[in-house]
Order: sequence, then structure tokens, then C-alpha cells
Amino acid sequence: MTQEPFITLAGVRKGYRTGSDAIPIFTALDLAIPRGDFVAIMGPSGSGKSTLLNMLAGIDVPDAGSLKVGNYRLDQMGETARSSWRAHNMGIVFQFYNLLPMLNAAENVELPLLLKPLSAGERRSRVAKVLDLVGLSGREKQYPSMMSGGQQQRVGIARAIVSDPKLLLCDEPTGDLDRKSADEVLEILALLNRTLEKTIVMVTHDPQAARSAKRTLHLDKGLFVEEKRAA
Amino acid sequence: MTFLSLARKNAWRKPLRTVLLLICIAVAFLIYALTASFLAGSQGTSAASEDVLGVMSVAGRAQPLPMAHLARIAAEPDVGAATFMTRLRGFVGSEKNVVAVSAVEPQGLMSVNGRELGLTPALIGSLDQGRDRILVGRALAEAQGWSVGQLITITAFQMVRQDGDREWRFEIAGIFEGENESTDTYFAIGRYDYVNASRAKGRDTVDVFVVRPRDGIKASTLAARIDSLFANSAAPTRTQSEKQFLEAFLRQYADIKLIVNLVTGVAFVTLLMIVINTMVFAVRERTFEIGVLKTLGVSGGRIIALVLVETFLIVAIGATIGLVLAKLATVLVGTVLGLAFSPSVLAKATAIALAVGLATGLLPAINAMRTPIIKAFRAR
Ligand SMILES: Nc1ncnc2c1ncn2[C@@H]1O[C@H](COP(=O)(O)OP(=O)(O)OP(=O)(O)O)[C@@H](O)[C@H]1O
Ligand SMILES: [Mg+2]
Repeated sequence: MTQEPFITLAGVRKGYRTGSDAIPIFTALDLAIPRGDFVAIMGPSGSGKSTLLNMLAGIDVPDAGSLKVGNYRLDQMGETARSSWRAHNMGIVFQFYNLLPMLNAAENVELPLLLKPLSAGERRSRVAKVLDLVGLSGREKQYPSMMSGGQQQRVGIARAIVSDPKLLLCDEPTGDLDRKSADEVLEILALLNRTLEKTIVMVTHDPQAARSAKRTLHLDKGLFVEEKRAA
Repeated sequence: MTFLSLARKNAWRKPLRTVLLLICIAVAFLIYALTASFLAGSQGTSAASEDVLGVMSVAGRAQPLPMAHLARIAAEPDVGAATFMTRLRGFVGSEKNVVAVSAVEPQGLMSVNGRELGLTPALIGSLDQGRDRILVGRALAEAQGWSVGQLITITAFQMVRQDGDREWRFEIAGIFEGENESTDTYFAIGRYDYVNASRAKGRDTVDVFVVRPRDGIKASTLAARIDSLFANSAAPTRTQSEKQFLEAFLRQYADIKLIVNLVTGVAFVTLLMIVINTMVFAVRERTFEIGVLKTLGVSGGRIIALVLVETFLIVAIGATIGLVLAKLATVLVGTVLGLAFSPSVLAKATAIALAVGLATGLLPAINAMRTPIIKAFRAR
């Protein structure tokens, strides 16, 4: 692969301090993810998977080292710049869906589009398109409280892709779902990767979920180990 | 959907809380608008004229002045017009139903104060047609349910008739409207010649001379000049503008303006604390969701705007309810209580609403903007 990677972490250091204790999570993390990849990240609880994903999402920043996504050096951008970067360049799917309870499915999906210069009509047709893609046509008016976990997560995915970002980040997207719903969600993610060429980074505890990805990275003690797989 | 509808949905997500907030805001604005209308109304002083002077006895307004003063006042070169009146105070029916008749010389009153009272030549003409005729102010007529042609009897508190009776009978000759809605019209105008001839005591005295300065003459200068005319006489005078008189009169009871300001001040400080507190909690409950919005790329400025618009919506609706109720009150009972819901009351209320919206929204809005996303996600 001669092409420059889509995502590059080099010498990333990150830790938290609680009171006087400093908790180091990464001391020198390196990672390269090419465009169009679908990576599963696994690892024990507390190994820093969510921390990594948050940095890739531009909602947390490295203490040192460089973090590049596309042409953007996220480690060098301020909160305002990262906020507008998030609006246009990445979509994120959470374990607990994180839909807004007072908005119905269509409105939740429409939310990110309010940050773009689109007419109401354009917004509506884009929302309809992605809801169709995740198999929720006809449920536009349902509120999150009336939907199953699997349905809510599909709304979450629709919201993440509605503004057509190149990068899709998922933090345990199936962690709260039964097997059947989980498989449906994973199928959608694989489809998005295959047909719409989204680069996907997915944190998961579920080995079966990891198998939907093209490759799996194991995070342990602040370092990555790539899983060997029979092709 | 727009950001505005998002703010609206946020405002209504706990309907009971929002309704309680609305009631609280509406009551505060109702109190404000009613008290401000009171100050602007006829029982207040803003509508009272500063141009017309009243000459009374230094001993108080119940003390009569000799009619002879009129010639000396009228001879003063800066006086445009001068007339006189005596007040006949009494009640109709129940003793609490106080009614006052200003006994005047109709043409004289017309020239000094006709415009302010809304007097017309036709009204004066009908007064001239009979000695016991009176003109009734619109507010008084409406409150008593009187109409033109009706005969009424006023029982005087003090003024005894020559026959020893205190019952004064009048025929209503017309109704005067006042120059505008804040003019005090809660009294009647009768004829001095009739009252003077019929009373047992105090013949040819008056309670007050009413003086209009010539154009371009300062009322306060003329007032001092008139008082100096009589300073060494048997009946010294005190001359004040109608406005000064009313202010002094109200201050006899209390400094009404100060009380009104204190009451509304306390109401609004309480309101501010309640609304700020409620909004801070309402927004804090949503810390997690605000984190989600930020993750989607909603900027800090937009988050502030979202919370501010939400509080402005609630304050605006509450204030509107309060002001509409106040307006209804002034329409229903305003003339009796002397309330005037003037455009300036409305303008001030709007300014206060904006200030309250900003003051109550800013703190929760800034809180919301400043919470980092990572911390917001840990709030769950
Ligand atoms: N905001 C924070 N402040 C302090 N410590 C934190 C913070 N966020 C994470 N940590 C700590 O950093 C470490 C890594 O957390 P992280 O959430 O990235 O783990 P994870 O691999 O996602 O775990 P899990 O599988 O349980 O989700 C943990 O020890 C956690 O307690
Ligand atoms: Mg995690």
C-alpha cells in the first residue's frame, strides 16, 4: 500500500489525572489506518479503547504526539475548529445510542444536517434516504422510547452517516443488543464499508462482531497487537 | 426541524415545570403592569397637568379662601385665565360610596381647564340650562351606572344647606370624557352660584382658585408671585401645580412610588432566583444530551443560543400572559381604580422581559457551553 494512511497516530501519549494520581493510558501509541478500512478494536476493560476512539472523534485530545485524520492535524486544532471538523468529517455511533428523547427518529437523524447549508427539502430527502438504508422507512415519527434497542441503534447509525462523512466511529455499537439485532447492525456497518466506502473504526468486546471487520487490533497495556486471521 | 423548534421542544419537555414557571413569570409581570398602570393612571400623577396652578389656603385645602382674592389674581399680568371652585364632598347611598362635585363658574372653568377635562361648548351650554344641573365624569358615570337626565342625591359630609338638610339633589346634564384615558374623570362638575346660594355657611368663599399662566410663562415662577400677593393678608395661599398637589396628596398616605418600586423589585428578584435556579437544573439534567450535540459538531455558541432561546421563549410567553391579564384588568376596572396601561408601561415591561430572559438564561447557557464533552458523557 503506497497511499498515505487515512488515519495516523504517531507517538501519542494520553493519561488522566484524578486528584494527585496520574493514570497513564498510552505512552507512545502508533497506528495507521488506510482509507476504506474496517477495523475492530478489542481489549480488556480500561485498556483505553474509548479514549482512543474519542481522540479519533476529536472530542478528546492527545497529551503529546501527532494525530492526523485526512488532512487534519487534530492534535493541533482548538475546540472550535474540532467542533466544525466533527460536523463535516466524522459520524459516531454509541453503545447506548444517545438519541435525543424529545425528538422522533427523523428529527434525530436530521439534527447533524442543521449544521449544513441545506434547504428543508434537501434535509428531508437525505433523512429519508438514510432511514431507508438502515431499514427504518415508515418509522420516521416514532420516538426513541417507543423503539427497540436494535431500532434505536439503527437510528443512531443513520444519524452518524446522514451528513456523509468519510469516517465512521463506533463504540461498542452492539454492546447493548441481542444477537439478532446485533447481526443486523453489523450487516449495515459492513454494507456501509463495502458500498459507500466508509472507513470504520469499531470498538467491541464481541468476537463475533469483530469478525464483520476486515481486521482486528488488540489493545493491551497501551500497545496494539494485530490479530492473525486465516484469510 | 430547526434549532428554534429544538429550543421549543426543550422548553416543553417537562410540561408541569414549564407551566409552573410560566405562572410565576406571569404573576410577576401582572404585578408589575398593574402597579405601573396605577402610577401612570389618574390616581397617579403623570397625567396631571403641570401647567394649571391651584391656589389654596396655606392652612390646608379644607380651609376656604375669600372670593375677593380672584380679582387680585386675575389682575396679575402673567395670568392667562383664572377661575375658582368649591368642593362638595358627600356620598350616594352607602357612606363608602364617596362622590365629589366641583362647584364652578362654567365659562371660567371652560377657559382655564376645558381642554384637560374634555369640556365642550355643548356640555357647558346644558349646564347653563338649570341651576341644579351637573356634568358627570365618564369614570364616575360608569362606576355608578348613571346616565344623562337622571336625578341623583348626594349626602354631603360637611356642607349643610340653608334648610338644615345635607341632601343635595342634582340633575345630570351631560357626561365629560377627559382629554385622554388617563385623565381623572371620577368626579362631577356643578354650578357654584347654586351651591353657594344654598349653603348655610361659608358663603362667598372658595376652596381653590384655578389659574392658567399665559403662554410662555413658567408655572413655578407665577406660583411664587401669587403666593407673595397674599403673604401678609388674612388668608395666605399656597400655589402648586395640579401634579405637585396630587403628588403631595398621595404622599400624605405613603410614598406610593417607593412602595410600588419595592413591591415590584421584590417580585422580580424572587422571580429571577426561581427561574435561574429552575433553568440551571433543567439544563444540568441535560448535560449528557448537550455532550451528544457537541459530539455531532454543534458549536459552543449554538449551545448558548439554544439555552438562551429556550429561556427567552418561556419568559416571553409568561410575560405576555401577565401583560394580557393586566390589560384585561385595566379595561374592566381601570377607570374606577385609576389604571392606565399606557404604551410606556408596555415598553418598560418588554425591556424587563428581555433583561429577565438574558439574566436567567445566561448562567445555565454558559454552564452548558463550558462542560467538556468527555465530562458530559461521564454525567450519565
Ligand atoms: N475523563 C476521565 N477521567 C479520568 N479517568 C478516565 C477518564 N476517562 C477514562 N479514564 C480512565 O482511563 C482508562 C481507560 O478508559 P476507557 O474508557 O478508554 O477504557 P475502555 O477500554 O473503553 O474500557 P471499557 O471496555 O470498559 O469501555 C480507565 O482506567 C478509565 O478509568
Ligand atoms: Mg469504552
